[in-house]
Amino acid sequence: MLLNRSNSGKRWRVRPDGPGKVTGSMAYLTDFSAEGMLYGRVLRSPHPHARIKAIRTERAKELAGVHAVLTAADVPGLNRFGIAVPDQPVFCEDIVRYIGDAVAAVAADTAELAALALELIEVDYEVLEVVDDAERALAPESPQLHPQGNVLHRSAYCAGEAQRGFECCAHIVEETYCTPRQMHTYMETEGGLFVLGEDGRLNVYAPTQHGFMDRMQLSRILAMPQADIRIVSSPIGGSFGGKDELNVQPYGALLAIASNRPVKIHNSRWESVRAGLKRHPMKITMKTGVDGNGKLIAHQVSIIADTGPYATLGAEVLRFAVEHVIGPYRYEHIKVDGVSVFTNNGMSGEFRGFGGNQAIFALEGQLDRLAEKLGIDPWMLRLRNMRMPDDAGPFGQPIAATEGAQQVWQALQASRLWQERASAGMGSSFSATTSEEPWISIGYGAAFTMHGAGLGVGIPDPAGGRLTLAADGRIEAVFGYEEFGQGLLASLEQMLIEQFGFAASDIRMIIGDTDVVPDSGSTTASRATSMLWKSLQNLRPMFQAKALEAASRLLALPAAKLRLGEGGIWQQEEQMLLLTYADLAMYSKERISCTTRFHFPTSPVDRVGAHFLYTYSAVAVKISVNRLTGRVRLLDQYHAVAAGPVINPQGFLGQIEGGSSMALGFTLTEEAVMENGLYLTKNLDTYLVPTIAEHRGTVEVEPIEDLPDFDQYGPRGIGEVGSVTLAPAIASAVHAATGVRISKLPIQPELLQLQDIESFLQRR
Amino acid sequence: MGANRQSLHAEPLVRHPQHAEEAWQMKRLWGATASYTAGGTLLRTQWESGLAPVPAYLIDLSGIAELHGIHDEADGNWRIGPMTTLTSCRSHLGLQTAHPLLTEAVRNIAAPSVRNLATLGGNIVSAVGDALPALLACNSVLQWRTEQGITDQALTEWLEAEQLQSAWKERLLVGIQLPRQTSISQTKRILAYHKVGRREAFTPSVVTVAINGQLGDDGIWRDIRIAAGGGQTRPRRLEHTEALLMENPSNSPSLAVVYQSLLAEFKPKGDSFASADYRRRTAANLIVSELWKAAKRLTEER
Repeated sequence: MLLNRSNSGKRWRVRPDGPGKVTGSMAYLTDFSAEGMLYGRVLRSPHPHARIKAIRTERAKELAGVHAVLTAADVPGLNRFGIAVPDQPVFCEDIVRYIGDAVAAVAADTAELAALALELIEVDYEVLEVVDDAERALAPESPQLHPQGNVLHRSAYCAGEAQRGFECCAHIVEETYCTPRQMHTYMETEGGLFVLGEDGRLNVYAPTQHGFMDRMQLSRILAMPQADIRIVSSPIGGSFGGKDELNVQPYGALLAIASNRPVKIHNSRWESVRAGLKRHPMKITMKTGVDGNGKLIAHQVSIIADTGPYATLGAEVLRFAVEHVIGPYRYEHIKVDGVSVFTNNGMSGEFRGFGGNQAIFALEGQLDRLAEKLGIDPWMLRLRNMRMPDDAGPFGQPIAATEGAQQVWQALQASRLWQERASAGMGSSFSATTSEEPWISIGYGAAFTMHGAGLGVGIPDPAGGRLTLAADGRIEAVFGYEEFGQGLLASLEQMLIEQFGFAASDIRMIIGDTDVVPDSGSTTASRATSMLWKSLQNLRPMFQAKALEAASRLLALPAAKLRLGEGGIWQQEEQMLLLTYADLAMYSKERISCTTRFHFPTSPVDRVGAHFLYTYSAVAVKISVNRLTGRVRLLDQYHAVAAGPVINPQGFLGQIEGGSSMALGFTLTEEAVMENGLYLTKNLDTYLVPTIAEHRGTVEVEPIEDLPDFDQYGPRGIGEVGSVTLAPAIASAVHAATGVRISKLPIQPELLQLQDIESFLQRR
Repeated sequence: MGANRQSLHAEPLVRHPQHAEEAWQMKRLWGATASYTAGGTLLRTQWESGLAPVPAYLIDLSGIAELHGIHDEADGNWRIGPMTTLTSCRSHLGLQTAHPLLTEAVRNIAAPSVRNLATLGGNIVSAVGDALPALLACNSVLQWRTEQGITDQALTEWLEAEQLQSAWKERLLVGIQLPRQTSISQTKRILAYHKVGRREAFTPSVVTVAINGQLGDDGIWRDIRIAAGGGQTRPRRLEHTEALLMENPSNSPSLAVVYQSLLAEFKPKGDSFASADYRRRTAANLIVSELWKAAKRLTEER
């Protein structure tokens, strides 16, 4: 059944943070201000690669109204940050490696004074050769950006003997796929307010996807105990992976401490583009062979990822890509080699899809090309090769078994859109045109994926939370997750209502404050809703027992005769409220509070990063191509998503539609173009995200909720999968419409133009 | 980013003249240190990106009544005040009927919030605005306040002259005239406007083309104006191709000859986002497809 408002009935709820966001009454953290607040600014390198010969800050310091001017010498602790590897300088000491690199920071009475103070800081640079291409960076003669060289990480996987496998293949396809440097383009740029309390504790009000990680990193930089730092991190105006790493926090914190005044920093869009993370551009070369029946025999892949100047999660993204270029298919022989390379380009890092987007675009491209060589329907080729429910995962690791792969394949096959393709008589190479505008070609395409959730084997991935009956009778649900627009609060509220029987007015949800919440791990990797669900599964019997026992004593009734309900404790099987939660809290002698802690489930192997829980998706699209201009339009799309039970219908739909929108940009319009280490797309007037005009077509989402009876993991992640599968489906449809194979994103219109328009028209 | 100034970024002094004459005198007095501002939408992006310095004086033209308004004049000409916002142009029913090319062009510029501020005059003096191909195809005339008083100048002429000198910056655009569309008997008017960007809406143009012609029932082009621009390419009429078509049957010269003529005549500038070759080919494709459509319709009607 399609997921929409009318099919969801009463489960379609107004999200708790909706009215405040829609009316603008809700303050984001970057809207905060404080009395006596200063404005912070960061001086960033104008060069992608240079040696710092001298920094003179005297003139800036002398400017009236300037309260702090800081450089590397002013960092009391570790002058580095990075979630996985702390190799990014807070302030560069001797070398700058990209145009976002920080050299100094100032705090001043006004934003204008802060800007002027930056101009008064004099830095002498010796410009160095720019390493602006990941492949060239691997050449021995290339300048080396770090003591260990230009390789951040290598990741490989090998099973069987690929070379021998190719000898047995009836058809082999070789292709190189290139994907763009995509920007998260969250509406709220990076920023925050930093306040040193009278007690000497530092209060940080700045968006992040993992408050405790920020606290640990800031503690390292500031040489300050973690207990003395409080991170308030939600609500967030969009993140998509882009705010998981530190951004302005080190500067705000250092400036607040140095000036002993509250400091606000809020990046302009220009600065956000310049300093912020992007999706890793990847060049993926694949050689894939099948036998005469279309059975995949051998698959050889090489991945080169441009990770920019510093590590952040570059190694982890590469490992994810290595896993997902193998993806949902069975092969006899596999060989994958990946390398993540340092360059002087912009910072690459975590971004929704986490390397899966690039991998699946390439892998699905191979399946389409092989189907053409075999002369069979590309969708049938997927079925012939997909993993079966009891199969191991891409790395041969045990995974949680579901029938998701087959289910999404079948659902797409039966979908209205795919039936329309069949009834239009459209195989893999057909295009429809109208006599009025014969240059408009129509095509249908589909793609398929499995997408891992959680951080994977070998990476700390804690989860948990707390339920407490507060003194005022509210049930406090306390979690260390973040709300960045994805609907985490709405999903949590819905689960508390549906699983516990509470009314929305009984609940108080507390997130995003390290002084209050337990460490539930990062809100990333499509994991938060799964972990909330599991936490509540663990907490429900505990909380229920404690609450009912306490009520039993107060009411002198057996606990078995009582149940939790809206407003308080109800008599089991009778419609009577016996005790409000407020009275229970007031009169109960014991504190009613339960905590759960556990680890995200992982596969019992030692392959770092291997996943255990997967979501499956299949996407079909209908597109048109204007052969005069080469422009592609997405007319219709269908998504089948097998991710277990739908926790929050509106949130599920929003995640898939939103992810798809992001994927549409990845496919058609978005690329942060760089030349010689400098951004050419410095603002949203040249970096083009899709607008509502790109979204005129229909979107249908069909969730497949079945899980095996023995499954204990519940809902799978859906935060990323919507952004992964659309690009290859569009590429497939473009081929159907035009006969042109797409191997580079965003799609270049010039490849799709008719080359002989006049003779084309004269024939009509 | 920004100039390396050693003092606080000064806010420009904003003046609000009530008459065009007064505005022009101010500009004369302050010269290059002053800038006229209409909607300010383009200026702001130029300041922010460091492409233009914030001037010492801003001469705000918004309070000058005579620069506003859309007038259907007695002789059938239309006169549009340069301070007319793009939204007002777009929603003017009379203009939609008389000059649909212009209202269609305006519909394709930026986004609603920008069109509420941005003016037709501002779009013109940017010299690369998307209204220009439509205005060229309508044979528009610009009225300027110059040292010589009020002077009229064909838009084509100004766009060509502007390439040679920038003295126009001392001028003030006071009116835009769209001449009456004369209809030749037994012809059909053929109008087409296309803007191609890197996305569907709110996008800088890669290629913009406009066609305004009259195709006789006998299949002969009696009148045709073709203009093309886009990106940083200054829009211009494609007069050689126009001449090829004029007074000739729509099937001779062949589309192939017209196509080659367009490729030879239109010389767009390329950039990192779209090559000159793509722009040229796209413009030629769009124009040829419109000529084909017009001829096909005629054949079907016969």
